[in-house]
Amino acid sequence: MSVINLFHTAIQGVSGNKLRAVLTMLGVVIGVASVITMLSLGNGARAAVEATFRHLGSDHVMISAKQIYENGEYIPVGSTLTYLDGLLLPVRVEQVKKVDLSLRAHARLRYGRVALEMNISGVTAGYIENLLSQAKVVPLGWDDNHPIEPSAYLAWGRSFTATEVLEGAKVCVLGIRTAQDLFAWENPIGAKIRVGRWSCQVIGVLKELESIDTEGQFTSNPNEALFLPISTLIQMHYEDEPSVSITAYVRDETQMEAAKQEIAAFLRQRHGIQPNIDGQFNDDFTLVTRKDVLGSQQEAARTFSLLLATMATVSLIVGGIGIMNVMLVSVTERTREIGVRMAVGARPRDIVAQFLFEAVLISSLGGLLGIVLGALSIPMAARLNQGIALLDPGSLPLSLGVGMLTGVIFGLYPAVRAARLNSIEALRYE
Amino acid sequence: MNNESDYPVIYTEALTRTYKIGSNQVAALRGIDLSIYRGEFVALMGASGSGKSTLLHLLGCLDNPTSGKYLLENQDVSTLSAGQLANLRNQHIGFVFQSFNLLPQMTALNNVALPLQYRQQANDSKARAMEVLKRVGLAERIHHLPNELSGGECQRVAIARALVVDPGILLADEPTGNLDSHTGIEIMQLLVELSEEGRSIFMVTHDWQLVRFAHRCLFMRDGQFVQSLNAYPGAHCTRRQYERN
Repeated sequence: MSVINLFHTAIQGVSGNKLRAVLTMLGVVIGVASVITMLSLGNGARAAVEATFRHLGSDHVMISAKQIYENGEYIPVGSTLTYLDGLLLPVRVEQVKKVDLSLRAHARLRYGRVALEMNISGVTAGYIENLLSQAKVVPLGWDDNHPIEPSAYLAWGRSFTATEVLEGAKVCVLGIRTAQDLFAWENPIGAKIRVGRWSCQVIGVLKELESIDTEGQFTSNPNEALFLPISTLIQMHYEDEPSVSITAYVRDETQMEAAKQEIAAFLRQRHGIQPNIDGQFNDDFTLVTRKDVLGSQQEAARTFSLLLATMATVSLIVGGIGIMNVMLVSVTERTREIGVRMAVGARPRDIVAQFLFEAVLISSLGGLLGIVLGALSIPMAARLNQGIALLDPGSLPLSLGVGMLTGVIFGLYPAVRAARLNSIEALRYE
Repeated sequence: MNNESDYPVIYTEALTRTYKIGSNQVAALRGIDLSIYRGEFVALMGASGSGKSTLLHLLGCLDNPTSGKYLLENQDVSTLSAGQLANLRNQHIGFVFQSFNLLPQMTALNNVALPLQYRQQANDSKARAMEVLKRVGLAERIHHLPNELSGGECQRVAIARALVVDPGILLADEPTGNLDSHTGIEIMQLLVELSEEGRSIFMVTHDWQLVRFAHRCLFMRDGQFVQSLNAYPGAHCTRRQYERN
């Protein structure tokens, strides 16, 4: 029997009972939709990983004080991670080339009659040059394919120097929105503003920046900012030593694990952390590299994908059993038709082909509907998975294929059963 | 019609068919010797359970004999596989059933074209189906579904379906059983015309009225032929002739 004839016969068979066909499809629809969603989650995670690959330097070790979440707030564990810890790292640890330190605080700014309440950052000189990896922001309209010059972030004036940082000079760099808010059309460079109770000279203004953070963690406007030397902020703002965030730049990217070990050993020594009886260290800091970030992200995506894969498998099996059931009923109902077809010369394999084709038609239609449903459910899956889900065009034929395969697997038994019918009894069947 | 060089279209020798029902062996056919020649119209009569249908199914290659020999168009079919039997049916045999057995979801035209779908080589099946429907006088009704046709029309569609592959043999199982007598006679006349075209017709019937259309009438009891009547030129096989014997 030719394919065209098979197709006509299958359409006739399916359209004979449309409601039943649609109900039969549901399992495959859900199964295929799950496959699509699953693959798009994996794809989204991969895309996010690629984005992070580009912008989080592979030589960075992010060091922060360990905190535990208790009674609705984060409480530091053990000693604080101090400014001095940070400054000593490149001196004492061979693998660390240099560090950038940062500290965030809340302050009231004032210039003339204008006052602003906002978050300010105390940072080292290198931080502003590395805004891309530190805060995932770029100058507005930045061409993704070009590296960013360290000076590219500055609109006017200059950034502070390493010496100013060490001396605790009272200078600051403003985000462009903050500069506009405070100064309107006046030239801010050289002007003195009040930061809390202290006076501070504006030495630079940043360009208009945009966030490229795909995970949406950095939600505040990157243009509302004030950067001070970190030592200045500590002097001005804190009575006790605050915990700072440290980014250590490792000399040799291939030695990241060794570098982490060295950094940990140094900090343990500084903080006086002794191994417990199991030889474990109860560290009061955390070290994170790009590899760790990617690993945890992929882990989350993998867990979610596994869940969906299970769901897809279960729905496809249930859908397949539904197809098998309906095809068995169909074979029984059409026993006489089978007998007639055999009498006029249908070979057993023609009968197999006919019913198999019909099962595959049902599952393919289910697959197509599943693709639509899957594509529609991707935004929802994205919300459940920290915003990472991206439709992979290659997943469409794959999932349709999986749906069709379900039809083949579960349609085979009813089709073979139809072909094994005794033609004489089939002709007499009422 | 029975000359030396002409082999029988159907030839059986000591054909038997035994069914197993539980542990019992039931012999439905006990040694059937039968030759049917080209263009011959043979009627088969017998009570229910005499083995008529079993014989028809064997001759139609729907079933394999338990023992004996069956040559269809000079080809031994007793050892063929299901697929090969299907091909034989498709090429040489047309079935006409009492209950028509048309597929209800298909138009008359598609029903008639059905056997051509199982042909290996592609051909213009619609045109051929149209041609045979014209032959049986249904050119006007080709796009109707079976439930829109009368019984007589349905049987004409069924005969057209049997004829569409141009078979040498038509096997008819009580072809007029579901028709009124007037329509039944029209159908019989159609069968007679087909046998005059050179097709062999083997018809199972209960109806003495139909026997007179046949060249030869066989009578079966308990799986064996018990009598055979031949029609003479200008005379028919009749019930009186049967009872006289």
